[in-house]
Amino acid sequence: MTTDAVPAGPDPRRLLDDARALARRVRLAQRVTWLPLLVLGLVTLGAIPVYRLFPPILSDCAADGTCTVFYRGAQIYWWTALLLGYLVIAAGYLRVARSRGLGARVLPYVLTGIALVLLSAAATVLALGLGEPSAALHVVLRLLDPPTVIGLALLALAWLERRATLLVFALGYLAVVLTPINLGWGAGWGDEWGMAPQLAINGGLLLLGSGFFALRRFR
Amino acid sequence: MSDSHPVTGLDDVVHQRVRLGILTIAHEGRRVEFGFLRTELDLSAGNLSKHLGVLEAAGLILTEKGYEGRRGRTWITLTAAGSTALAEEIARLKLLITRVETTGHSGA
Repeated sequence: MTTDAVPAGPDPRRLLDDARALARRVRLAQRVTWLPLLVLGLVTLGAIPVYRLFPPILSDCAADGTCTVFYRGAQIYWWTALLLGYLVIAAGYLRVARSRGLGARVLPYVLTGIALVLLSAAATVLALGLGEPSAALHVVLRLLDPPTVIGLALLALAWLERRATLLVFALGYLAVVLTPINLGWGAGWGDEWGMAPQLAINGGLLLLGSGFFALRRFR
Repeated sequence: MSDSHPVTGLDDVVHQRVRLGILTIAHEGRRVEFGFLRTELDLSAGNLSKHLGVLEAAGLILTEKGYEGRRGRTWITLTAAGSTALAEEIARLKLLITRVETTGHSGA
């Protein structure tokens, strides 16, 4: 009679379950989801006075009064604030992870965010040289608008943190950002405050999300 | 892939609850501090050091000692060989479970 000798070792299913549970606990300890939402929410709200202080530059005005509008001050604000914001987020993640005895897994998110900001800047500059954008280019520019690229980068963070709630939040945020919302308020505030309602909604949503994830930070 | 039983390919260094745990945490955390491992794996410092010694001797991890303020800290990172060993161990465990389930179903 022959027998296949199988060494008595640890139960493979239990080993695998233990490994999965440990991996999950590490991911939980590395999460600082509230931080990017807080930083990006403040950056968004900070854009409101910038739009007020730096009026748009009008060019290529047609006879019917339509002009090409470029918010130079606001664009420079977005690019600078977002790049600085991502550096603050990276430093925050590294600091928190280190204090918990771990490395951080934030780099792909920060690099995605920075790459999208640079892409947004390049697309805006290119579009300025083209004059009236085509419908397709208009869609691209809308997808590369600073508030939209914030949401697109959040999708990367949701994947990185394996966090379904953040994925749902990011998709909800993108829906809000891409849907022009006019609640009627701000109508009498004048042209300088025209961007304020949408920015207040976007920034408020990010801050609410930050509070939500801060309360659920170990879940 | 060969037809040999997955058990024959198991690496004794990695196929052990604590050492597999160390590799998993180091992989997931990018780097991990000695104290975090001790807490998560519920081990004494001496016991953890022994397991780390085995893994380091096998070239699966690197340890780096330093100070934060006046407090000494030891950081552990996975080597490329450690990543490969972990991936292979996980793959073999999955295969082993599948084999056991298949055998169980066919024998039922």
